[in-house]
Amino acid sequence: MQFLGARHPPETVQGSRHLAASLLLFVPLVFAGNEIGSILRYPDVGSAVLFVPYAVLTAALVVSRPRDWVWYILIDSIAHFVAHWPQWPMSWVLLATVANVARALAAAVVVARLCDGIPRFVGIRTFGCFVVGAVIVAPSIGASIGAANVVLHGASDGYWRPWLAWFTSNALTAFTMLPACIAMFSYTAGPSRARVARRRLVEGVLMMAALGATAFILLGGFERLNPAVTLFAALPILFWSALRFGAAGASGALTVITFAAIWSVDRGETSAAGPSDDQILALQFFVFFTAAPVLCLAAIAAAREAVVQLHRALLASLHDHVALLDARGVMFEANASWRRFADSSAAPLHRARTGDDYLAACRSSAERGDVMGTALFDGVTKVLRGAQPHVEIEYDDPEPGRHETYAIRIESLERPDGGAVVTRANVTARRQAQLEVERHRRELSHLARVNVLGQLSGALAHDLNQPLTAILSNAQAAHKWLLRDPPNTEYAAEILQDIIDDDRRAAAMIHRLRSLLKRGDLRVERIDVADLMSEVLDLSRSELQARNIEPTTSINPAAPALLGDKVQLQQVLLNLILNACDAMNDMEEPRRRLELSVASDDLRTVRLSVRDWGVGLPTDLIARLFEPFVTTKTDGLGLGLSISRTIIAAHGGRLWAENNLGGGATIHCVLPVAEQPEVAAAEPTSSLPDAVRH
Amino acid sequence: MTSDRTGGRQIRVAIVDDDAGVRVGLRRLCEVFDLGVSVYASGHEFLASLDHGRPHADCLLIDAHMPTMTGVELQHDLLSRGILIPTIVFTGDDPEAISVHHTGLSVVACLRKPIESDVLIAAIERAVGAVVFDPDGP
Repeated sequence: MQFLGARHPPETVQGSRHLAASLLLFVPLVFAGNEIGSILRYPDVGSAVLFVPYAVLTAALVVSRPRDWVWYILIDSIAHFVAHWPQWPMSWVLLATVANVARALAAAVVVARLCDGIPRFVGIRTFGCFVVGAVIVAPSIGASIGAANVVLHGASDGYWRPWLAWFTSNALTAFTMLPACIAMFSYTAGPSRARVARRRLVEGVLMMAALGATAFILLGGFERLNPAVTLFAALPILFWSALRFGAAGASGALTVITFAAIWSVDRGETSAAGPSDDQILALQFFVFFTAAPVLCLAAIAAAREAVVQLHRALLASLHDHVALLDARGVMFEANASWRRFADSSAAPLHRARTGDDYLAACRSSAERGDVMGTALFDGVTKVLRGAQPHVEIEYDDPEPGRHETYAIRIESLERPDGGAVVTRANVTARRQAQLEVERHRRELSHLARVNVLGQLSGALAHDLNQPLTAILSNAQAAHKWLLRDPPNTEYAAEILQDIIDDDRRAAAMIHRLRSLLKRGDLRVERIDVADLMSEVLDLSRSELQARNIEPTTSINPAAPALLGDKVQLQQVLLNLILNACDAMNDMEEPRRRLELSVASDDLRTVRLSVRDWGVGLPTDLIARLFEPFVTTKTDGLGLGLSISRTIIAAHGGRLWAENNLGGGATIHCVLPVAEQPEVAAAEPTSSLPDAVRH
Repeated sequence: MTSDRTGGRQIRVAIVDDDAGVRVGLRRLCEVFDLGVSVYASGHEFLASLDHGRPHADCLLIDAHMPTMTGVELQHDLLSRGILIPTIVFTGDDPEAISVHHTGLSVVACLRKPIESDVLIAAIERAVGAVVFDPDGP
């Protein structure tokens, strides 16, 4: 049962303090209420037109803990006795008390259950629950006992007429007074912590003054006018209270108006023949059918206000800077983060606030040649026109002293009026993490490259030794020829020319190796595929020779150029070639073949393939081949292909493996070609060119 | 000028290397020492030059790494034809490692590329059992 206790505040000092405060309010109200109840009664059945104690007792019960209920019930019963006994028979007073207590208990229990605690009158649902519990169920129970009491004591011939009188008066009481009473008792439980704005205080005072004036008109004007007509004068003040002060305010206003109306009927009656039942009933029905829509309106207005407050609170709680633009690009709302950033910025573009034309600020910034302004103007325009659903721009804060990276996202506002949401987030940490990952990737890729060259080192040493050998022999020969008497300078010159050529050959080779060994940034350039293939073949030729592998090439001369990092693509191809060589280690001589091919399947891509006639790939491994640490070799780390796929993916391409029908495997690598304008235009989001990064 | 094998005539060497630059350089170096030089781009080319099963050289200089026929393969081929010719093998790798493959064959020396002239001449002298005449003095 401890869990159910969560519905009520825990038992602390505050509990007894609350009881004391609540009783302080309850005692005068309930005694006064019982007295007021006797003011206007139905002449024949003797029940009150408006029964105040019902609202007071129910409100006290709804707000307090069930263990305190006995106090309220006891005091209410005493007040009832004091008001009615000994004018009324003891038995009548007793049974009427039972009816009162049963009704209030039913209302408190049903409302608390349906509304899950104290009813807050926010939205139609809680209002409906309140109506079912406090306006229909509880008054029905009270009326059933009360009417029986009337019949038992011979005050009425029929049962249904007093039943209806009891029911109506209590339902009317719940409708007019109960929400205000609940608000009052809730206040004793602990005043709201929210500070009341001065403007709202002024408005409350003004409304009360207007309410007083209306009540005065009601009281004075009734003598000449039909009450039903006079009561229309109350409608504006009731709507005002409902829209601006919620169910509690509306209920308070309704109470004042209803009392004024009852009072005027009562006063009007003393001077004439006395109010007829029908006249009283008409008054009750008028109030009833005014109260229902007014409270309903109050609940809807409160729900709307709650949504607005939630929206504000949500915006304020966001760490990202958020601004809302209307369809023209004028900022109509910005959260606190946005405003703080605007205050601390020097650039006019970032100083835009609520009410400013953001689009115009972007335009003027763009006209001054600011890249950021141009990108923003472009993005906002596109989103507002509906050309793109959203645009993302990442930029480094250009203001001195701030080393921050921001991501701006402009997103279309999905509503009939259009507009856009501009969100700016500080993505410095994410950006740094990305850079870190990129750095690690580069280092790993470099290590893999060094590893590939390590595997080639024997063959490369041989390649490099060839020109060196030629140079040394030639130089020593030339030296001898020049020392002769007479020196053979002509022949020496011819030899020197060969030395120069061989030296250049060695230098070119070293340059190629150096670029492969270098730990460099990504360098994107146009790459001729045939050149790429022949350079890779040059690098691996000696290794292939040493392994007795015969390379063949099939290169489509019309294959378009690629855009990418030459060194990295060479690395991938070398890796594929070495893998192919390893796959053919145990093969017989005629099968030791390697085929490199370049094909262009369509206009947008180029396919490079490395085919071997080796052992082929285990079928269960083909799908996982490019995952890290997956390898078919006994001495392999399983990183080469995984890094190769990362490199190819960074080039916007694909790398996959398949087994050949005639044995062996082929690795295909598809890369996008350098010129493909229609693909660039189809990109969904635009991003800033690199030039924007400072 | 004493000589066991050449009988006083000019010493002839045959160079087999797939790299044209190396072939030319080694030929020139040998020619400076008045050696008779013939060059071949591959083992097959050399085998094709045999005159009734006899080589036109006193000494064979071969590259260990060649695409169509390696140095070892060429030597095995010659051995199978009953041809024994003192051979000098050169390599870019560790000569120790190479010499293992040539054990039992008629290899006189394994030299590391690039080859110093005096080392080469000393090896040739060892191969032919004769002193190579240096026209430019000691």
